[in-house]
Amino acid sequence: MAVTDKRSTAPQGGSFLIERHRAESILIPEAFSDELKMMGQAAEQYVEREIKPDFEALEALDYELSVQKIRKAGDQGLLGIDVPEAYGGLDIEKTASMLVTEKLAQAGSFNVTFNAHSGIGTLPLVYFGTPEQQAKYLPGLVSGEKIAAYCLSEPGSGSDALGAKTRALLNDAGTHYLLSGTKMWISNAGFADLFTVFAKVDGEHFSAFLVERDTPGLSLGAEEKKMGIKGSSTRPLILENAEVPKENLLGELGRGHVIAFQILNLGRLKLAAGAIGGCKEMVRLASGYAQERQQFGKAIAEFGLIQEKIGKMSAETFALESAIYRLTGAMDEHLAGALTQAEKLAAIGEYVVEYSLLKVAGSEILDRTIDEALQVYGGYGFSAEYPIELAYRNSRINRIFEGTNEINRLLTSGQLLKRAMKGQLELMGAAQAAIQGEPVTDVSAPEPLVDAFVAVENMKRAALLVAGLGAGRYMQALEQEQELMARVADMVAGIYLAESALLRSERLLGSNRGEISNLLAKIVTFEAFDQARVLGSEALRRIGNRDGLAKLESYLSDHGVDLIALRRKAAESSYQQGGYPL
Amino acid sequence: MKIITIIKQVPDAEARLHPAEEGIDLDGVTFVIDGMDEYGVEEALRLREQGFDAEIIAVALGPQRYEEAIRTALALGADRAIHIETDTVLDPITQAKVLSNLVSEEEAELVFVGGKQADWDSAALGPALAEALGWPHSDWTTKLDIGAGTLTVTHDTDEGQEDLSLPLPAVITTQQGLNEPRYPTLPNIMKAKRKELKKLPLDQWGGVQAKTAVVGEAIQVRERLNRVIEGDPVEAARELVRLLREEAKVL
Repeated sequence: MAVTDKRSTAPQGGSFLIERHRAESILIPEAFSDELKMMGQAAEQYVEREIKPDFEALEALDYELSVQKIRKAGDQGLLGIDVPEAYGGLDIEKTASMLVTEKLAQAGSFNVTFNAHSGIGTLPLVYFGTPEQQAKYLPGLVSGEKIAAYCLSEPGSGSDALGAKTRALLNDAGTHYLLSGTKMWISNAGFADLFTVFAKVDGEHFSAFLVERDTPGLSLGAEEKKMGIKGSSTRPLILENAEVPKENLLGELGRGHVIAFQILNLGRLKLAAGAIGGCKEMVRLASGYAQERQQFGKAIAEFGLIQEKIGKMSAETFALESAIYRLTGAMDEHLAGALTQAEKLAAIGEYVVEYSLLKVAGSEILDRTIDEALQVYGGYGFSAEYPIELAYRNSRINRIFEGTNEINRLLTSGQLLKRAMKGQLELMGAAQAAIQGEPVTDVSAPEPLVDAFVAVENMKRAALLVAGLGAGRYMQALEQEQELMARVADMVAGIYLAESALLRSERLLGSNRGEISNLLAKIVTFEAFDQARVLGSEALRRIGNRDGLAKLESYLSDHGVDLIALRRKAAESSYQQGGYPL
Repeated sequence: MKIITIIKQVPDAEARLHPAEEGIDLDGVTFVIDGMDEYGVEEALRLREQGFDAEIIAVALGPQRYEEAIRTALALGADRAIHIETDTVLDPITQAKVLSNLVSEEEAELVFVGGKQADWDSAALGPALAEALGWPHSDWTTKLDIGAGTLTVTHDTDEGQEDLSLPLPAVITTQQGLNEPRYPTLPNIMKAKRKELKKLPLDQWGGVQAKTAVVGEAIQVRERLNRVIEGDPVEAARELVRLLREEAKVL
């Protein structure tokens, strides 16, 4: 099928903000093919059979065992989903990749080992390697015989990745680059065979290199003593004139930033997909425990404040799941026509706004959900004898990994603006319309969902209003107004999640999942709506635009929905299903 | 030689089932291949991996949704599959009759059947199929070796276990311990897409008349009563004993 045909059907990145996407055009988990479902089950089985029996040993950090488990994952074909068939992979949909990632979330710290290898470790080669480099390294990475690591951060450069100090100099013979510097927080460092290292050639041209473990001049620092993911190896990589063959330069010289950011894009999506798995487990644990635990003569599940937690976590999990697979469905449509590396990269690069907002949403929903599950468990939640204490510590890193949530908030709104400037997105016109426009009062949608879809459309106007007035007031300096940028990002994220949940529930209307999905979608929609009012008001007061505030009020006037009642009802459903109700 | 493994699809053991107005609400329940049937698929695969030349055919008799379980069998390594598709609920004797026609037509020489259905606990299909075919049968089989035209098996009995020798063709029903079934690899799941899955109607070999009809079904429901007996401790204890004796009938 021609590329252009494909391009025309999948929505453009960020376009959800200015147009309504159709329910029938999105991917929902309920519509997964039998193969996809089977792959999800195969990943679950892997965790059940290979990871769970050795869970404690893996959490205590055991290099040999970790290596063994990666090898077993290779045997099961779990490491090659994104890799071309020519190198032993499957090269199938991103949806499969994310579904496996979701299931691996039950693997505790090993999840990090797995993702660091098959995600940020392997993907630079997949998307930027030459055929020779791919042939040399990918088969081993797919089978799990070799393990990969990704080395971007340094002691002095984290968020400011391009401020890296590691240098590369071509030797006199012109055969090798000599790399010097220190890379920090390297996941899998303890047992990795191949490191993707970012360094500046001649202290200037940011580039990526494939560095083998036994390279002369390469050594490792001590294991970090971490708060969580203690079963994941994290060590600094020290390079002292490490001799890397010239042909191990990955991608073009001076274009390392393209690699770094594209790989982080996929890493962000993976992180968010993993969060779904974590959230589902928490809903299961919390709703199970709430029904078991008796206080004042009844199960605590019957108390409103417990129901509120369970209802909210179920709804947020539903929204996150809906958003992730909506996005992977769109990515796969784009990717279906992409044959070359460059075409694939262009297709993946389409959704930078979505990756960033989902990374933030995923990591924060997960943290909130774990925190509330812990609260449901009370003192037992705080005890290491019960599973939530570990999850609580392990998940905290997600808000720092793959770009901090602060950076990703700035990226969400920054990339939206950038796409608008480039003319890829008709944002400016839409913002003008929002500044002058009237609230939406009706949309074409099935009756039970009309109010919620109307709310989403008004949230879009509100976000565009704030972004438009912010751009007008600060012009190019808007990006310096970080708090404003973050508020716009949060409003946009709320819209994407709510709309994804609503579109999915529209698809499920009339089915046996119709009622519950409708309920969950409404909870996230009106919660996001209320949140948008707070975010938007703060932003507009900062911008100092009274008319804007009045306009915001008109878009986000009270929705009149009793969220407390909805959360109670949602909790009931989670109790009945013994966990996440979908 | 052809090996047929009969498979069924059942609710996942982890799934929570709820009573519906009539019978059981299966909406939204995850279905999987019956674990007992997986032993059969696994044993067939192992025989082949040990060098035994065999074509492995997964066969299912049941509704459309069984297709997912059939795909699982193909992803595990079965060569092809046949699905006799029907929404009619059939008793094991009638199922065996239909399946015996298929087994004869395929000229299979070894048939694996799950020892006991995970959903309704029936263990009748294996023996019934052996009876319909007029073949020897080993039930609750925990060990199997194949020789020239002969099987040597170990199977559970009420008192312990027993070793048997039986000639081929034969029907083997499985028991936990026969093997440790594998789970599908991702490449094999992809390959399964291209394998043959033949659909046959229930009346392929003539009209089928069930011997029994299901008129109702129910599952055990366990719920807490959440009852607190208040008041004077001595009185409360007396009331508790009374309730345990008269209502719960455990004393």
